[in-house]
Amino acid sequence: MISTFKGLNRVFITASVLAVALLYLFPVLVKSSNNPSFYLQVVSVAVCSAILTISLNICMGYGGLLSLMHTGLQMVGGYSIAILAVKQGWNGWLALVAAAVIGAIFAILVILISLRATYLYFGMITLAVNLIAMEAVRHGGEFTGGYNGLFGVFAPGIPNGMMSAEGFYRVMITILILAYIVQRNLIFSGFGRNTMALRESSETATALGISPNMHRVKVFGVSGALAGLAGALLSIQIGYAIADIGDLNNGLIFFVGLFLGGVGTLAGPVLGVALVAIIDFLIRGTGQYRTLVLGSILLLTMIVLPRGIVGTYRASRYGSPRSREVMPGEADNFHLDIDVKNVTKGQVLFEAHDVVKHFGGVHAVDGISVQFKAGEVHGIIGPNGSGKSTLISAMTRYHELTSGRVTLLGAEADKKPFKVARDGVTRVFQIPHLFERVSVLDNVLTGMYRRDKYSIFDAIFRTPRYLKANSRSVAESKALLSLAGMLGMEELAAGSISHGQKRLLEVIRAVATEPKILILDEPATGLTQDEMHSLTSLIRTLAAGGMCVVLIEHNVAFLMDLADIVTVIQSGKVIAEGTPKEVQKNERVLEAYLGNTDFSKELA
Amino acid sequence: MSLQIWIDGLFVGSVFAIIALSMTIVYQPTRIMNFAQGEGFILGAALGYQMMGVWKWPLIQSLVALVIAAALMGFIMERMVMLPVQLSGSKFAWIIATLAAAMIFQSAFNIKYVNVTFSYFDIIEKDISIFGAKLSIQKLIVILMMIAVFIINDQFLKRTLWGRSIRAIAHNPDTSTILGIPTKPVIKLAFIAGTVIIALVGFLASPVIIVAPAAGLFFTIQGFTAAIIGGVGSPKGAVVGGLMIGILDSVVRSWLGGTWGLFSTFFVLAAILILKPNGFFGKRVEGR
Repeated sequence: MISTFKGLNRVFITASVLAVALLYLFPVLVKSSNNPSFYLQVVSVAVCSAILTISLNICMGYGGLLSLMHTGLQMVGGYSIAILAVKQGWNGWLALVAAAVIGAIFAILVILISLRATYLYFGMITLAVNLIAMEAVRHGGEFTGGYNGLFGVFAPGIPNGMMSAEGFYRVMITILILAYIVQRNLIFSGFGRNTMALRESSETATALGISPNMHRVKVFGVSGALAGLAGALLSIQIGYAIADIGDLNNGLIFFVGLFLGGVGTLAGPVLGVALVAIIDFLIRGTGQYRTLVLGSILLLTMIVLPRGIVGTYRASRYGSPRSREVMPGEADNFHLDIDVKNVTKGQVLFEAHDVVKHFGGVHAVDGISVQFKAGEVHGIIGPNGSGKSTLISAMTRYHELTSGRVTLLGAEADKKPFKVARDGVTRVFQIPHLFERVSVLDNVLTGMYRRDKYSIFDAIFRTPRYLKANSRSVAESKALLSLAGMLGMEELAAGSISHGQKRLLEVIRAVATEPKILILDEPATGLTQDEMHSLTSLIRTLAAGGMCVVLIEHNVAFLMDLADIVTVIQSGKVIAEGTPKEVQKNERVLEAYLGNTDFSKELA
Repeated sequence: MSLQIWIDGLFVGSVFAIIALSMTIVYQPTRIMNFAQGEGFILGAALGYQMMGVWKWPLIQSLVALVIAAALMGFIMERMVMLPVQLSGSKFAWIIATLAAAMIFQSAFNIKYVNVTFSYFDIIEKDISIFGAKLSIQKLIVILMMIAVFIINDQFLKRTLWGRSIRAIAHNPDTSTILGIPTKPVIKLAFIAGTVIIALVGFLASPVIIVAPAAGLFFTIQGFTAAIIGGVGSPKGAVVGGLMIGILDSVVRSWLGGTWGLFSTFFVLAAILILKPNGFFGKRVEGR
């Protein structure tokens, strides 16, 4: 099976090399035809669409940001080059770069004003912005040429004379290849992992210390830059910039291309747009039927190939990754230092001071003070609805406090949940919150991103700084995986592993963030005996390294065996605290659970 | 400012409100904002032009034929949208599917009606006078229809078993199915009812406002704007939002000139989304 997979991969590489060669040789091939410049333009316009679809794929496919303003961004790019290069007389290449920058700024401004909006509303804001931008351009007077637009946009020259159509065609193919590489390098870097983490669950990404807003701004900015560039290239090809370019109807081709190829896949947008361009070429001259045909293809694709061509391939048995065999002794290659730095055993790390959280009339947490210390396993038990999870959510700032204080490492804890996470508190939620469509390794790497000190540009250009940081992170991730007995499963999609492995992976991912305090909400639920042992030894190792592990558990036997100190909560108040032995004998605890015979028995 | 402007605004606002209401009806059981909804409006306008203007059919016959045609369109639309949505796992499936459906209907109208705007004569050519301002019966009917649709929808949701099913499905489709609520028929009904309502208002309003075959997306967007200002999924919000942008459009138009009407609408939309991200009466919409 593995050889088939590799064989097909080789077919793909060969096919793409051939496609690129064909594209570069295309001008020579059509030279003898009756209308070579027409054919060149058809392919060039398709290249613009492909770049724009890559941009759309970054924000929608990977980022989960619904954008209905990509045609508008295309228009903005077109006007940028028309105004800068034609009216202001800038150098054409400089104007092309400026178009990308303006596209990015435009996109960033839009997302900055709409950060509070949830995804549907965000889509609607982009739609409104698109319409406003088109109206603004139509009424921009001489600056934008009003309804007629601006004419006379030509290809930038080398160095200042005009370039041949053929020459610029090759430039465009090169730009497309570069756009593809930018996409690939971004998606495979920490930037891409965070993007996908946010797409799958904003809450989990926050728990890992990713700032959702800041990251969305970056994703949309990158997408805007590519769209602006695509728009400028389109205007160079067709020779003008006009408001109608921004019309949502023109966006159909991008959506068809994206869905046909596969949303959220690297090759999908290019492959999809290529197919659509071919179909579009075949039905040229049918005028009004074009939209009808394209719309029908789009609907049919969604019904027949819901994941698109590349997505369907990836999900098939040929295209999906599988676990590999682990070489004997491979695990020994990875050395890992999990000791927590700069803390002394027994030091108070995280503390709640008389924390109160009311939901309307419900007093979920009613004045709890608790200390979490370095190097201890701290258990929290209590009946359902006693306020355990609410206490943790309040302490990690997912809920605003009604009253009370929370201190982290002696200072007041930050008000934003992702900052609390960055300062060393990592949560693992009750329900598995893995990034299911992302590989096991990428899940761990996402947790590691705070250590990676490289920028978007390092990731795009694969600078030595990026390469060094990346290989170190990969090695450490593998070390963590081997600690949980999951080596060899790196490439599997996280959604495809067993429930127990998911829970372990989640703990591993949390450890990857290098927390000082690790909070596990019912980690033992649904684990097999073996997995339970792995978890127990993992927790012991972590605590021995100086970490504070907070366990919220219903499984009393598991907790009493593992915990150094146990806090018992009932009705939002602490009713007992002490070592497992002390708590088990505590009369208030027994009294509180009187009637709840199962629980009393287990405690006794 | 003259009363006439406000009355005109009330009429246009009622048109937008009905469009937004029909979208709300589809949105409730499906959580889909239907980009193809405006095409129903064009269907009403086109059939009005065809039946009353070209074929000279009597009013009642035209209305019956319109309702049947619109119901059929709603049925087809439901399949075009829901089939891809149910099959595709993508979070964006609905938007792409409804957009594709909109494009298909739009190009169908474009192919059939080249260089035509749908206006026939007023169905009822009579004006009534309110303090010197004129209000044609035609416009009055549209305003009354808006009120009627709102009340009927509200009572239907609150008092009938089907209405309660829709509210249950709106909360949680999976649980509703487990409880034996016929989710799929309810969704079909929503598409059909929504399309019939929007087609009726297209039929009634097209003699007064200019409607072109390709204008479906424009009316969709106006409906979206109204629904979003009011809060997606809230019938009350649809009415308030629709009236608001209708009156705003009319007032700004007379004050600053034509193009600023559209501008002001979208600026208000952007402003409201920024200040009140869930609209006036909306609940927080979470992913899907």
